[in-house]
Amino acid sequence: MEPELASKLVNGLKAAGINFVTYLPETRLSQILPLMRQDEFFQLAPVASEAEGVSIAAGAALGGKQVASYMEGTGVFVSTYNLLTIAERFGIPMLLLVSYVGSAADKRNSFLYVRRGTRMIPVLEALGIEYQIVTDGENLETRIKDAVRMMHALKLPVVLLFTGEFTV
Amino acid sequence: MNRSACLESLVPHITDQLVVPSVSGQWIWGHLTKEHDGNLLLGSMGNALGVGLGMALGLPHRKVIVIESDGSVLLSLFNLPTLGALKPDNLVVFVFDNEKYSGSRISRPSATAAGTDLAAVARDCGISHAVEVRDLDSFKRESQGALSRQGLGFVVAKVEETLEHRQAERSTADLTENKYRFVRYIERTEGKAVFRGRG
Repeated sequence: MEPELASKLVNGLKAAGINFVTYLPETRLSQILPLMRQDEFFQLAPVASEAEGVSIAAGAALGGKQVASYMEGTGVFVSTYNLLTIAERFGIPMLLLVSYVGSAADKRNSFLYVRRGTRMIPVLEALGIEYQIVTDGENLETRIKDAVRMMHALKLPVVLLFTGEFTV
Repeated sequence: MNRSACLESLVPHITDQLVVPSVSGQWIWGHLTKEHDGNLLLGSMGNALGVGLGMALGLPHRKVIVIESDGSVLLSLFNLPTLGALKPDNLVVFVFDNEKYSGSRISRPSATAAGTDLAAVARDCGISHAVEVRDLDSFKRESQGALSRQGLGFVVAKVEETLEHRQAERSTADLTENKYRFVRYIERTEGKAVFRGRG
């Protein structure tokens, strides 16, 4: 991802009020981490599994934080139990920042990733989780704000799936 | 050692702490604390440590207590290195380890029956104050110490298997009602809005 796009993404999260982020680094979006680390507005919690990333974010949200969890697409599969038993069952507003590996627009797609991409949408739909696919930086701040407004309106997780320019 | 006796010994020390019980002892704890608004009923295994950790990070000036079981900790064992890395100094974890999946009704042994030492695992993950206790006096001493000091506490209580939880009176508030009761308690005691963002 170009540094300018990473900045745009981080600025969009800040403008939308996201101030607590759990994360497990991956290859496509990881440039956002140093930017968030430099900004005291963000409280960051590195995790060992995306599953606990969801539970930790839920706990912070219950304490009044505006939360996001950043993960690779595979992390959605790993955290399905936590999404279902905590985030969805309790109704926790939470933004999931997901690198959409293996999707058609993933510039680094290969046999390694493709199955993870093709199964992503069916899994999210089975979980009843709203998602938006973001392929470029156009209106990015607005799109993030829209997703955050949606997660609060639903009181549920909302997923932003980043692919295209974000995977360069 | 009996789990209910341990939980009962904690009750006089509960003031404004936030308590996140896993399925182990959730009904007993709710009954003992008269459904205190600071209790968050989760109703699932493998989530209490994560949720409690997030709460402790989000509210660093509040004491957060997590009540766990061996089966639940084993289900999300990756929580321990994360806990050891982040070290929130306002979190106390109690793990009631009966070495069994007693909720399964067939009482199958868990890995702690085969030698897994959760306090030792926690220490190796960087949780320096992780202890195991086997009698009520030791539990009282360690729990009161953990609750009164500033620092991450991790107390593994080896308890006998009982069926007391099946007799305990169960809350009629479902998870959603319990969540909002908890959230309103946070709002009242913290003077801040929860779930009110607009994007």
